[in-house]
Formats: sequence, structure tokens, C-alpha cells
Amino acid sequence: MNDAEPDIILQTRNLKETYMQGKVPIHALQGVDLEVRRGELVSIVGPSGSGKSTLLSIIGMLEIPTEGSVFIDGIEVTGVKAKEIPRLRREKIGFVFQHFNLLPALTALGNVEIAMRFARVHKKERIKRAREVLTEMGLGDRLNHKPSELSGGEQQRVSIARALANRPAIILADEPTGEVDTKTRDLIIGILRRLSDGGQTVIIVTHDPWVSERTDRVITLVDGKVEKS
Amino acid sequence: MFDIILRNLSQRKVRTALTIFGIGLGIFAVIVMGSMSENFNKTFETSFALTADKIRVFGSSGVFGGSVTTSKAAEVRKVPGVHDAYGLLMAPLEEGGGMSFGGNQVIGLPPEKSQTILGPVQVKEGRDLMRGDRYVTVIGSSIATQYDIGVGDRIEIQDKYFTVVGELEYTGSFFDASAAIPLDIAQDVYEMGNMVSMIFAIPEEGVDGDLLAKRIKLSVDGVDTLSPSELEEEAKQGLMIFSVITVSAAVLAAIIGGLSVMNTMLMSVMERTKEFGILKAMGAERRDILLMTVGEAAIMGFLGGLLGLACGWVAVFGINLWLAEKGIVLFLITPRLVAVAMLFAILLGTLSGIYPALRATGMSPMEALRYE
Repeated sequence: MNDAEPDIILQTRNLKETYMQGKVPIHALQGVDLEVRRGELVSIVGPSGSGKSTLLSIIGMLEIPTEGSVFIDGIEVTGVKAKEIPRLRREKIGFVFQHFNLLPALTALGNVEIAMRFARVHKKERIKRAREVLTEMGLGDRLNHKPSELSGGEQQRVSIARALANRPAIILADEPTGEVDTKTRDLIIGILRRLSDGGQTVIIVTHDPWVSERTDRVITLVDGKVEKS
Repeated sequence: MFDIILRNLSQRKVRTALTIFGIGLGIFAVIVMGSMSENFNKTFETSFALTADKIRVFGSSGVFGGSVTTSKAAEVRKVPGVHDAYGLLMAPLEEGGGMSFGGNQVIGLPPEKSQTILGPVQVKEGRDLMRGDRYVTVIGSSIATQYDIGVGDRIEIQDKYFTVVGELEYTGSFFDASAAIPLDIAQDVYEMGNMVSMIFAIPEEGVDGDLLAKRIKLSVDGVDTLSPSELEEEAKQGLMIFSVITVSAAVLAAIIGGLSVMNTMLMSVMERTKEFGILKAMGAERRDILLMTVGEAAIMGFLGGLLGLACGWVAVFGINLWLAEKGIVLFLITPRLVAVAMLFAILLGTLSGIYPALRATGMSPMEALRYE
């Protein structure tokens, strides 16, 4: 357990990430310290190459940092065994991607339901929960449509429903409005805002000032360091 | 998970079908070659069981090669522990024909011993050979079918006509392809003088066949013996070589089928790199991905096995039906063969899926997600 305040759901300490591009070391993160409170809607902004996506990947346990620690919900996720990571990822993180990343062969319901399979949720419960979150996203009449039959906004809402399926501690959204029109952008941000108001922590990586202006707090990354938080 | 596996397979119908066909072809070869081997094994086992109590005595110039004279039978009969002994002349029925599996043969035997030699085989129609018989024969079921003859008909052996007096029931042994005629007539028509191919020595009750075989060899000059257990061992070695040759050809075909599964799975895994990344991001564990990919390969193996089994069965049934007119049975599908072929198909599919599966599980989720 970390010594953070009880309502701190995410904390990073001196997070560093260096990778090699050929023979040149690239310092993507150079000691990032940040804290996010439970239920907060936070945006991470910064120019291309500032380390936003790397930070999101490390928080989402998709990458292991070169140095430093990440605490989620009081657990140091950077210190657990590799085989524990999938379980933690299921329990703590829900991803929303810029390109939706839905499985094309599955329906909207299937895409949300599959996320709960790995958590070994019973089939009846999975279907019930998937219907519930999809209806919450306003997709109650699109349950059996495949991604190719859905609009960009609808696909992103399925993606949000999928992220919510396992009731994660944090939703990590990587450019969630990057592929949609402005009307849909308003809708997506509205949904994320509503989730945050309901107590769900949401972290958005974005280039779009319109999006960041609508979040509780903006964290600016420049050259792998937090410039403003 | 099973539904996801089936969904993935049905997503790529043509590729899946071709892979299943590849495995099916291999298993088809396993079934056809294997059933041929099984049939030979069974023929040997039945033949052996029907003559298991007899010691073979040959001329010492070589096993199966040296002939002995009829008079040696009297010498063998005098050896303590021998209940009875008599000579047999075995020769191909058709001119230029061999006596290998499937070839018809003539067995010249003392007619009064006919009951002892053919004893375990029931006479379906007519009678056994009897003392005083001359140009008469008792034929096996295959010869009856092949020549389309029965009791009362005649058959030509070495330019002489023999009347069929008896027909044996089907046994699945070499007796089916045999025509028994009196020994002296056989020696006459084959111009063998008083030579016989071998002497059958029957041990007295309670006498050990192996020990008696050694005693005969030591007591009678110029002979070699094969006890029932020695014969079984020698014949089994021969059969094993045959089995190894036929089965390895089939296994090779099946392995080629397995490689096609591996190829398909590698392509499929590469195409789904991003999908695996998404699944990992959703918290899929190593075993989920492993089960998904190996499961697909195993199911393709299973379906290929079923296809191969069905086609093999149809082919074997068809050929057997066609050969039945000639009185020949060439293939035998046994439960053991079916079980081995199916197990082999599933194992082949599974093993071929392991490497692609490990590739899939080994991917970093971040790299997989970035994969386009």
C-alpha cells in the first residue's frame, strides 16, 4: 500500500521510460509524478512526442516503466508479478481507443460481453451487464449490430461500454474523439463527464483543447515531464 | 471459449476448409495404409491361432528354404513327446504365383490327417479329405469366390483337374486362399518326389513346444525347427517391418497436413495481431489466448480426422467390395486404428498450433495494438 490520501486512485512516482530507437536512447518519460483523485475527469495534453501515450500505456499496464512506480487503488502495479497483470488490468483499467478497436466479427453485445469472459463472469451475468451498459450508452436498439453497421460515434460508445463492463477503477481514453465529428465529440465527452460525475475516474489523452477545457484538470506533458498539473 | 474458436474458424471459411482437407488427406492415408496393415496382422494372428499347437520342422539348409523328405516325418514321430508328425507340401496354385499374403496356394497333406490340420476350420459344405482320395480338393472360401466354384465343380492344378469335395468356412487366415489336396498327388503334380515343404509335429498333451522343438532338432539329423513361439516372433518381426513401412508413409502424409495447419495458424495469428492486443488490453490471460489458438488448431485436426476417417472408410469399403468378387480381403478397419487415427489427427493439430499460439501469447500488448 502507498501512503497516499484515501481518495487518490492513481499515483505515479518518478516514472521514467527510455527505449532505444536504433542505437539512440529515447527518453519518453523523465520522472513523471502525478496524482489523480477518485471520480476526477483529467486530461493529459502536450505536443506529439511529449510522452502522453507512453504514460497512458504504463498506467494501463501495457508497458513496464524503466524506472519508478505506479499505484492504482492503493496497489503498486509496477511491483506485481507478470502473471498478476492481466487480472489487475481487468479489475482496474478500462481502455477506450482512438480507433475504437472493436472486434469486427462480434456484435456490439459480443464486444462488450467478451471483456467479462476473461474475468470468468457467468454467461447470464455477462449478457445482462453488457445490455445494461450498452443501453446506458443509448445503444439499446443496436445490440446485435456489428461494428461495420455502426457509425463512428456508435462504435466509440460501444468501446466506452466495453471499458465499463468490468467496473474498472480508471477509464483510460486515448484520443477518444480523434476519429469522430464535432457532434459526436460532444456526445462522447458528455458521456465521460456523466461517468465522472457518477464517481468513475476518467483520464483522457487529447490534442483537442475543446476536450481538455471540459475536464476537471489538465496535465500538460512536455518532453516527458509534467509541465503543468 | 468454444464459441469464439468456432467463430474464428468460420470467419475464414476457405482457408479453414483447405486446412481441414489437408489433414483429412493425411488421415485418409493413415486409414487406408493402416487398415491394410491391420488386415495382414489379423490374417497372421488367425493363421497362427489355427496352427499354434504345431512345431514346424524344415530341412536344415535354411529356415523356410530347405525341403525334407516324407520319411523324416517317421523319425520326428519317434521323438519322445511328439504325438504325431506328418509332411506338408505347399506350392502356389497358379503358375508363377507367389505364396505371399493374398496369393492362392495348394497344401498337399496326408488325407487321413486332414481333420487334424484343417481341424479348427469348419467345412461349410461337403467333406474333409479322406484316406484313398486322389484328384480331389477341399478349397478355402476365397478360392471358391474367386474361381466361382463349389462342391462338385472342378479346378485345374498343374494341368490336372481336381474335383472339389469340400469348401471351408471363411476364417480370415491363409486357409481361405488354400486348396488342400492329398500329399502324394501334390508331390506327383509338382514333381517333388518324396519331398515336403515342412513337417508339422504335434506335441503330446502337456509337453512344452519350445523344449520339444529343441529335442527334435537334436534327435533328428538334418532338420531345423521352429517352435510356435519362435514362429510367432519371426512372423511378427516381418509384419512389424511391413507395418512400419506402410504406417510411416501414411504418417508422413499426415505430418504434411499438420504443417498446413501450422501455416494456416501462423497466418491467422499474424492477421489477428491487433485483435490479440485488444484482448490483452481487456485483461485476457496467456492461457485464454493459448486456448483460443491451440483450440482452433485442435478442432481443425479433429475435423480433418473425421473427414479422413469417413473418406478412408468409404474407399476401404469400396475396394474391399470390389475385391470380394475375387475372394480377397485387403483392408480391415479396427476400433484400434480408428482411435489411433483420430488421436493422431487431434494431436497433430494441437502440436501444429502450439508454436503459432506461443507467438500470439508472446506479443507485447502495446506492440500488438500498434500493429497495422
